[in-house]
Parts: sequence; C-alpha cells; structure tokens
Amino acid sequence: MHSARRPSRLLAAVTGSAVLALLATACTGTNSAGGQDDSAAGKDVTITFWHGWSQDSETKAIEENVAAFQKAHPNIHVKIVPKIEDEKSEQALRAGGEDAPDVVSSFTTDNVGKFCSAKVWADLNPFLKKDGIDPAKTFPAPMLKYSQFQGNQCSLPLLGDAYGLYYNKTAFAAAGITAPPKTFSEFEAAAAKLTVAEGEGFKQLGFMPAYHGYESSIAHLLGQYGPSYFDGEGKSTVATDPKVGALMEWQKSLVGKLGGFEKLEKYRTGFGDEFSAKNPFHTGQVAMAMDGEWRTAALDEEKLPFEWATAPFPVPDDQAATYGRGYQTGTIIGIARGSQKQTAAWELVKYLTTNTDAVVSFANAIHNVPSTFEALNSPKLTNDPNFRTFIEIAKNPNSSTTPASLNGGAYQVSLQNLGFDYESGKQTDLKAGLAATAKEIDAAVNQAK
Amino acid sequence: MTATISLPLTRRDAAVRVARRRAALHWVAVHSLAVAAALFFVLPFVFVFLTSVMTDRQAITADLWPHTWQWDNFVKVWQTDGFLTWWRNTLLYAGLGTVLTVLSSLPVAYALAKFRFRGRNLALMAVISMMMLPPQVIIIPMYLFWAKQLHLTGTLWPLIIPMAFGDAFSIFLLRQFLLTVPKEYIEAARIDGCSEFRTLLKVVVPMAKPAIAAVALFQFFYCWNDYFGPQIYASDNQGAWTLSYGLASFKASHHTNWNLTMAATLLVMAPVIVLFFFAQKAFIEGVTLTGVKG
Amino acid sequence: MALVGTPVPAALKRKRRREALRTLAFLSPWLIGFAVFFAYPLLSTAYFSFMRYDGFSAPTFRGLQNWSYVFTDYPSFWQGLRNTLWLVVVMVALRVAFGLGIGLLITKVKTGAGVFRTLFYLPYLAPPVAATIAFAFLLNPGTGPVNALLGDLGLPTPGWFTDPDWSKPALTMLAMWGIGDLMVIFMAALLDVPKEQYEAAELDGAGPVQKFRFVTIPNISPIVLFAVVTGVIQTMQYYTQAIVAGKVASGVIGGSGQQFEPGYPNGSTWTLPQMVYNLGFQRADYGSACVVALILFVISMAFTSLLLRRKSGLLASED
Repeated sequence: MHSARRPSRLLAAVTGSAVLALLATACTGTNSAGGQDDSAAGKDVTITFWHGWSQDSETKAIEENVAAFQKAHPNIHVKIVPKIEDEKSEQALRAGGEDAPDVVSSFTTDNVGKFCSAKVWADLNPFLKKDGIDPAKTFPAPMLKYSQFQGNQCSLPLLGDAYGLYYNKTAFAAAGITAPPKTFSEFEAAAAKLTVAEGEGFKQLGFMPAYHGYESSIAHLLGQYGPSYFDGEGKSTVATDPKVGALMEWQKSLVGKLGGFEKLEKYRTGFGDEFSAKNPFHTGQVAMAMDGEWRTAALDEEKLPFEWATAPFPVPDDQAATYGRGYQTGTIIGIARGSQKQTAAWELVKYLTTNTDAVVSFANAIHNVPSTFEALNSPKLTNDPNFRTFIEIAKNPNSSTTPASLNGGAYQVSLQNLGFDYESGKQTDLKAGLAATAKEIDAAVNQAK
Repeated sequence: MTATISLPLTRRDAAVRVARRRAALHWVAVHSLAVAAALFFVLPFVFVFLTSVMTDRQAITADLWPHTWQWDNFVKVWQTDGFLTWWRNTLLYAGLGTVLTVLSSLPVAYALAKFRFRGRNLALMAVISMMMLPPQVIIIPMYLFWAKQLHLTGTLWPLIIPMAFGDAFSIFLLRQFLLTVPKEYIEAARIDGCSEFRTLLKVVVPMAKPAIAAVALFQFFYCWNDYFGPQIYASDNQGAWTLSYGLASFKASHHTNWNLTMAATLLVMAPVIVLFFFAQKAFIEGVTLTGVKG
Repeated sequence: MALVGTPVPAALKRKRRREALRTLAFLSPWLIGFAVFFAYPLLSTAYFSFMRYDGFSAPTFRGLQNWSYVFTDYPSFWQGLRNTLWLVVVMVALRVAFGLGIGLLITKVKTGAGVFRTLFYLPYLAPPVAATIAFAFLLNPGTGPVNALLGDLGLPTPGWFTDPDWSKPALTMLAMWGIGDLMVIFMAALLDVPKEQYEAAELDGAGPVQKFRFVTIPNISPIVLFAVVTGVIQTMQYYTQAIVAGKVASGVIGGSGQQFEPGYPNGSTWTLPQMVYNLGFQRADYGSACVVALILFVISMAFTSLLLRRKSGLLASED
C-alpha cells in the first residue's frame, strides 16, 4: 500500500489549506459606526423599528402612534417588527448587516449598560443637544438613570413601569382591616390576618413572600429600601449595604410567620400562570400582591367576585417617611449604532419619547406609566384612581431602580440565586452568602470589561 | 385397554391443564402490563387532544372532558400570524436538508464501506466523533462564521448549506448498511466496465433503498424537530422561524391560552406521526441499524 | 514514497493513482464538511477561549482569565455540571432499564403486538419542543390533569417543573416517555438471542430469572453498552427540553422587564449546553462560552472513545 500515501498527503494538504484559509478569513472586524441619511432634506427614507410588545392591544397602540408619526413626517416610512425578544435584537445588532433594525426597544433596562458600553446602541446625547432637549428637565430621574450608563445616554425611556401593592378590599373588610398597610410591621400583621388555613395548605394567603411569587422578586422588593448595588468604583455593595441583608432577613421572617417555606412553596407551585386569569390575585388565592401598573388593565377586564384597590407598597419601619416609593423600571428605546439612517431614526425616537400626546395616548392604551414630566402631568392621562397610584409612585423622588451594569442584569441573577438559597434554608449564613455573591458579581463585571 | 392408558392420560391432561393455566396467567400478566404501558405512552396525547378542543377558560381547570368542542381552535391556530410561514420554512429546511444529506452522504458512506485506502479507519473515527459532537461545542465560531463572514443569519441557509457536505450520522448509518452488500455484486459491475459512480448508482442504490429511506426519514425528523439551530441562526427574523422554534414562543405571545397552545402542539406533531405510519417499516429498520451486533 | 524499493510497473502506478483520486472524489463532500464544520470551528473555539470577545469590538487576548473565571468565579458552572451529571447518571440509567423492560415486554406480547409496538414507539416521534410543552401542561401543578388525577387518588401532588427537587425527575419522565428508539434496538437484540441457548438453560433447570441473568444479559450486553454510551453522549447535549420546560413552567413571560431565569426553578434544569448559549448569546461573553464548550467537548470525546474501541464493533469492516 505504498502508493496510498499520496492521497493521504493530498488529503492532509487539502484539509490543512481549507482550515488555514478559514482561519485567515476568520477576522472579526468591528461594525461600522453608522451614519446619517437625507430625510432632513425631505428625501424618502424607510427605517425598521423592532419592539417587543406582543399582545394585540399593545401592537395596535404602537401602530397608531407610528401612523401619527408618519403623518407628521410624510417622507419617513417605518417598518414595524413586533414581538422581538431582547436577545434577538441584540444578536441582530451584533451581527450587523442590512436587515438589522434602525430603531430598537427593550423591556430589560438591565441591558442598558451592555448596550451602551459595547456601543451596540448609539449615544443619543448629540441628538438631544442638537434639538435642544434637556433630558433632566424632560424625564423623571429614575427613568433617566436606567436609560444611561456612565454618561452615555444610549437610550431614552418609552413609558415606565412602577410597582405597588394590590389588595383585595373584600378580604380586607372580612378581616377587619380598614386601610392598606404602610409599614412592614403593619403589612406583616395584615398578611397574617388575611391568611386562612385549609387542611395542610391555605384557603387564602395574605401575601406570597417567596421570591418566585411572580413580581415579588428580590430586586422589586428591594425597591422599598432603595439600595445602591454598586459603589463609585463599580464594585458590588450587596455585602456592605445593610439594606440588602435587611430585606432578606425580613423576607425570611415573613416566610416563617406565614407558615414556612415548604408550605408556601407547595401553595405557590399550584398557582396559575402570571399573565392569565389564573393569576393568584385574580383567583383570590392571595389577598395582597406586589405587581406592576399593567395589572390594573387585566383586573378591569374581568368580572371578579371581589373588590380590589391599589396603594404604594409598604416600606420598612425605620424608613416610614419614604412611604409612597416603589421599584421602577420601563421600556427603553434607542438607535442602532450601525444604522445608516440615524437622522430618520432619531425623528422617530424623539417623537415616541418626547411628544406629550404620543406618550399619553400610548400610556392610556397599554396602561403603562408615562415617561416624561409633561405627560405625567397631562390632563388627558386616565383618571382611574387605581392607576393613578402608580403615577404617584413614578413621581416619588424616593422611588428607585436597578442600575445599569456592564454585563446587564447578571448581578441581579446572582443576588436572586442567593435569595432562593436563603429563603429555602439551603444557605443559612447570610453574611457569607452576601460576601460570596458580591465576589461573584465583581468577577462577572470584570469579565465583561 | 382404556383402563390401562386412562391413568397416564388424565395425568397428562392435568399437566397440560396446569401448563395451559400457567400460559393463560402469563398471557394475562404480560398483556395487562402492556396495557398499562400503553396508557403511559398514549394518555399524554389524549390529554393534549382533549385540551386542544376546550375553551381557554376550561383549559385551566381540572375538568378533563371538554364541555363544548371548540374545533375552531385549530382554525385559530392555523390563522395565527406566522404559522403558515413556519410551516413553509420547516418544509423547506426539512425537505432540502434531507435531499442534500442523502446526496452528499451516500458516496462518502460507499467509499468508507467498500474502498480500501489508507486512513480509512481514521476517517471512520472522525465520522463517529463528528456524530457524537454536541452542537453547542462549535456553535460560537459557526455563528460568527455565518453572521460575520457570510451575513446569512436570519435565514435558513446556515442550517441547510452544511447538509450538502455530508452528515456524520447519515454517513455512519449508510456505511453500516453498505457493509452488508455482498462484494460480488460490486465486482461484477466493475468487471462489466461500470465506473464506480455508475456502480453506486445502478447496483448499490437499488440494494440500499431501505437504508436510504431510513436515513432520509431520520434527517427529515431531525430538521423538523430542530430547535437549537433555528434558535441560533434564524430567530432574529420572524420570516425565517420554523415550527419548533415558533411553537416554543407560541405560549408567550398568546398569554397562556393553553387550549390554543395544545392545538398548535398537535399540529406540529401530526405530520411526523402521519409520516411514521406511512414509513413505519423503514423507520424501525433504521433504528435497528444504529445498534451494532456484538 | 511509492518510488522507493522495487520499481512499480507504470500501469499499476496509474491504476493506483486513479483509485486514489476516485476515493478522494467520493469523500470530497465530507472532507470539506469535516474541515469547515468540525476542524476549523474546534480550533477556533480553542482560540476564542483565550480571548475577550463580545461579538462587537475586536477580540483581545486575555490569557487564562476566561478559564479561571469559569472554574473559580462562576458558581453556575458547577451547578450546571452537577445537573448534567445527575441527568447522565439517573436519566440514562432509567432510560436503559426502562427501554430494556419495554423491549422485553414487547417480545412477550402475543396478541396485538404490532399495535402495542406502534403505541410504545409513537412518543419518540413527538418533536421535543411539542412534547415538552405538552408535559409542562400535563404536569402543571395547579391546573394540569396529572396532579388533578393524583389528587383525586389521594396521592401527593408534586410541583414538577416548578419545584427544584422535582424538575429533573419530571424531565426524566419526559425522556422515558420517548423510549421508542431504545425499545426497538433492545427488541431486535432480544430476538437475536439464539433459542437453543434458552432451551439448553431450561434443560439445566434454569428459571426465568436465571435465564435472563445467564443467557439474555451476556447476549445483549454489547447493545446495553452501546445504549449507555450513546445515551450519555445525548444527555451531554441535553438542551431543548430543559430550556423549553424552564421557559414554559416559569409562567413569567416577557413584558414585565424581568429576565427569564435560566434553569428555572433555582437553576435546577441548568445544563452545560445551556451555559454555552447563555454565556455566548445572552451575556455576549464568547470567551467564557468557548471555555464551557471545550469542557463539554472533552467529556463527550472521552465517552466517544469508548465507542471507538475495537470491542464495541462500531469500526468493524468486512476486510
């Protein structure tokens, strides 16, 4: 078989050169920086707008807004692509190319740090300056905070979400509670009073404190304390800021008072889906819930056998003066850095985020909190008192958000994991757990540098 | 005479009766086990079907039998935005992928089974290694390759094109089968002056039809079921979604209408199951082929 | 080279050369495939494991930082590895045992064997996404029919996909539902066991258990080994079912500004392949994703090498 050597060498050569050729072309160049278009001169321009809203009422509302925009700018045509998840738009932006969107929106403000620092989204400061818009005078502070990263305003708020307390008035009356609780100790007392046992479980639970209880996640609950998360140098403060440990201890004690983790967990896993008629607050399985303002719409739609109302979520006893605050987040919108049609893209972003009529009608349509001062004070805004609660929370100077970070929401996932371990008793040493979590967060941020 | 043999006869009778009774018991035991197992395998389909014709209100209750039969759930799903596109894309991916896989894998399998050449064992080992490679291992460079070099993400081409370059599992399966084709047929063709390619086409292919059918079916199912590939390459363009990928996001965009989700689930399962009934034999032979005789 | 030693007649040389070219021509599709879709990306994965790369700005060398990050500062790695190992041990073992049992059962069925075989086989064909969604619905603790039935019977009603202790068992059940492939393989192997051996054993007074132990097992052990090794390799790739189950069961869907929690609940369904996806495509840390990918590669290849041993018979050829 001497002669067989020839093909095997040939084979090796072919394979080898193919690999080399590929490695050589495996350059991974950066994307181009984008550019301006001629829409300002009245030329026709078509831009693509990706958003994540998926319900019919929501997509219809955004279409109406865009139609109004096109009426005002007849030469700018907008192609809307709905139901895009964040990771998809991020993937498309990183890949670049002609099909990538020009205008993008996201529900996950945690990702702002990633989008800004990796320059996936363009810095909007030059545009704001050019048009004489002062962001600090236009947008509420927490919303401005979650839409920028280290001075780079790579996105603007497009409606916001605020979190408060939903309570079952009928159950309150039955338990002899006259007003919604304002402090954690009042809240605990109410939760205990509202809890009705049945067999080994509950007929009605006052409040589901587990971090998995849909919106009662650790970051949302921490909004009642207003923690810092990161220090000036960008290091995690979860181990040094006493607020984080305080919340976790309070939550754990509440878990204990309401029957213990196992019993609550058993009850929780029997809940229906969050965004369905089987949501435990809708079914009366829980008498109080932490939730966002959009819940008012879903509750209004249904004929429920009980009365309900909303209020700001209670605050820790030692911070009683801050009552009225809540966790805030929202939708953000920005321009792809690689877009070649940034002039037209900015016109759309500017319209959607700063035109008072647009913001108000959109907020009314999808039951979200408006994201500009003018819109928040607009008389056209819905008068529904249950919804108004959330507008007040959004205006409250003590309301807070989770700050943007280089690697998105990874730091919240780390903290959340510790929360799960602590509430279930898998982790008993809170101090050590927090220290390890801080180390984990720092390492992950460092990894993203 | 009767008296002398009657005794052993009755004894034999008794033995036969005992044996029969034991056989009957055995039959009952085996078949009740089989019925129990069948329930385990079939009941999920039944529940899915029953839920798919319920109202969305009933679908989230513990009532198992539909109060009213909402057949138009299927129509609703069919008319969902994109559902038809997902179908078309899945058919394109699975159809083209299958044809390309068979065309590109057959010659390779033939060479590995019937040619003698240096490095053949090594090549075979390489094929098996490729077959066993988790797709996630190489996904980062592959994604970058399709996204940054060729700008083909958001289409199905990153999924289809590689199938023109041989699929390790299909090569392996075909090679296992071709090993069983007697040498004499091939040599006879060669002596008749057939080129190797003609031999493959005229002699080997007709004999390997069952194996080719099995490979084609496997590949078709693989493409039909693929979730990871479309998630990576096609997901950022809804016009390129496939059924498996679309189905996974179906519940999210329908805000937990379990009845519609189950109807969609059935509509995704149905073609595969229909295909199976038409090609059951080829399929089961193919599975057997993957196992090796010791 | 061929020219060394005894001179080879020119005609023979030409023939051999032609044969070599022919072989090359037949192998060529796969050779390209091997280079482009296997060798190159593997080398590239190794390369990126030493780089900082986010898919946007140019990659920069960062030495072993990705490696030390994954091993020391990324606790989710160990959790994912533990979950993957749990699945490899429990899921594979149960699937092989159950597949063998069902295969055995189907060889004993006298009446309606064809019907039973088809029914047992069908779930294997259900597309994984569809099957997982179906199971997430069936096992939905609050509103699903399984717990409704269990509750009626007075049996415990676990939280299945929403309970960290039950999520992997629920996935295992899903995997056992799709046992069709193993059933067919084992069925074929069982029917291949020579009848004479059973008869001989019976003459020696062996009962059913002894026959199984001393005749069946030795005869089918290569198939069992094959099933175990391929099962392990498949489980190393376990992705679709875990991710879809987590997504559907979490009940939390986009719109609330919350990120999907990978490996829901509490990371209990978080596996190595998901980690590659999460690190690479969600966190845009391609370097660390490549580290995990290489670890996955090494473990898979260790098991593949078991298949490549001569004894496994995979490499057998006719000459």
